[in-house]
Amino acid sequence: MQPCSREMQAMDSLLSPTQPIPLQDLQPNGNSGTHQAQIHNPQFDPTSSHDDFLDQMLSTLPSCSWSDLKSPWDPPKSDETPPSNPDNNAGFHYDEILASKLRQHQINGGGGGTTAAMKMMMQQQMLLPGRPIAAAGGGGLTMPLHNDIVDGSSFKSPNQQGGEGSVQALYNGFGAGPLHGTNNQSPNQPQHFHHPQGGNMQTQSFGATAGTVMNQSQASGSTTGGTPAQPKQRVRARRGQATDPHSIAERLRRERIAERMKALQELVPNANKTDKASMLDEIIDYVKFLQLQVKVLSMSRLGGAAAVAPLVADMPPEGGDCVQTTAGGGGSLQRNSNGNQPSANNDSLTVTEHQVAKLMEEDMGSAMQYLQGKGLCLMPISLATAISTATCHSRNPMMNKGSSSNHPLLQSNGDGPSSPSMSVLTVQSATMGNGGLDGSAKDAASVSKP
Amino acid sequence: MNNPHHLNPTSLKSRFTTRFLRALTKIRAQKPISSSSPTEIFRRYRRIKVAADKSMAYSVRSRRIWSRAMLWKLRSRSYRRQDPCSGRRSGKTSQAIMKKSSNENTTTRREDGVGFVEEADELRQLVPGGETMNLCNLLDETAHYIKCLTTQVQVMKKIADFYSF
Repeated sequence: MQPCSREMQAMDSLLSPTQPIPLQDLQPNGNSGTHQAQIHNPQFDPTSSHDDFLDQMLSTLPSCSWSDLKSPWDPPKSDETPPSNPDNNAGFHYDEILASKLRQHQINGGGGGTTAAMKMMMQQQMLLPGRPIAAAGGGGLTMPLHNDIVDGSSFKSPNQQGGEGSVQALYNGFGAGPLHGTNNQSPNQPQHFHHPQGGNMQTQSFGATAGTVMNQSQASGSTTGGTPAQPKQRVRARRGQATDPHSIAERLRRERIAERMKALQELVPNANKTDKASMLDEIIDYVKFLQLQVKVLSMSRLGGAAAVAPLVADMPPEGGDCVQTTAGGGGSLQRNSNGNQPSANNDSLTVTEHQVAKLMEEDMGSAMQYLQGKGLCLMPISLATAISTATCHSRNPMMNKGSSSNHPLLQSNGDGPSSPSMSVLTVQSATMGNGGLDGSAKDAASVSKP
Repeated sequence: MNNPHHLNPTSLKSRFTTRFLRALTKIRAQKPISSSSPTEIFRRYRRIKVAADKSMAYSVRSRRIWSRAMLWKLRSRSYRRQDPCSGRRSGKTSQAIMKKSSNENTTTRREDGVGFVEEADELRQLVPGGETMNLCNLLDETAHYIKCLTTQVQVMKKIADFYSF
């Protein structure tokens, strides 16, 4: 039978070109043709016979096939004349037909690989909000058709609600149909579906929202079953994620970024990875610290460059990480501090303090180098007070770093300072290492004399 | 003497070391320590640091974006120092290099979508040539840059220790 109403035609055109595949997926192969035919030829039951029909459907035994299922329909089908009332009624019947068929298919145990899809769709059906799923079978059966219809509508135009009036009607009717069927609210059904536009408007919003929910749940559950309504080349989305290409690209990008963050985490010490932002801050601080170390080391080598021996291929074993002084050219550093950097105002002092504190946590040697780079050194408080009281003007700013009186730097000089100026000198020479370089020792002597 | 270090002559570390030592001897040969004025010291420091960076960048060749950017920066600076009129030339080279790197990296400085714009900007300032990278490449370059910096620091520390006692 040809669809007579405009809406039925629309629905037909909508469903037939876009939805042949999924429906065929769900069906056993032999019955696809008949099913298609039946889709194209919706049944128009008189409204009063809804209940009878449903009872008929529910009572049919599992051994029926699709063709068997057709048989209950045939008598009413043959009786029918082209219907007088259009869309909703027809839509509802159509829904009923498909629902029944799918239910039958479900009861039959499905065909081959579609059982998984069915089960998944049952799950999805369970997920739908506001849907009392009394019969799991009904839920499962309704799912594929929901997918088809909903995906069809979304496939055409996701936001279009007015244009898809027929589809919405179909969907609403379909949604409400098995619902009512399972709830046995049979007297309400005709009323529900005989309110053409008002009810349609009401349920349309429901349909729209439920459609989007369905679509999402469809997408979310499509791990195993794929997306039957979409072309098969579409990338299968993972759980809880959409399938449009933009989000896929976004997701790939995010994954790549996460990989790189993990690689960085291994390089940077103190990598707790509480969250990405703090991790990035850690990374930034570490890069700054490394650059600062290079600066300090290149400064400290100024004195060392004076005495650079001829090129040697092999290096002595590294001693830089232990707590000993890594003084190369501390003397020149002092001069440097006078000329290069502004005299210590409070701001730079506090900043330096913080920096050194941070450095000391990680590596004592680098902390010392940093200090030397600034022309500073670590000394016990007693000594510092002695110096400051004795000499008013000392060209090199001395800083107190707490009572680290047992610093090996100062322990290397066993004898106590005889005079403040001499103490300064001994400290300086100690920073340069025992016996120092001649040039730098001279420089230190020249500088630290008040 | 048993030398467990530098087992791999082609590693980054050994490449950098040889280059850097060569540069150091060159610097020392250029100017003996006569001056003690702070500006001179500063200049020396500058030269050494530049030598360190340059040798590191050369060790990495042009395989990395940051090394290319650093090399370009150094070269443009040296051009500028030698000949003020060569600014145009360096501008051209800079354009060429930037265009090349930009073509590779899709320079759009767009919103990340991940939400780390501030930190990413700061990181871009730290890593040479970072302005033209999207976050993904930026993190990649940062990882390599950190590795090279640690190598540099290690070698320089060893040198300092070796010559300081």
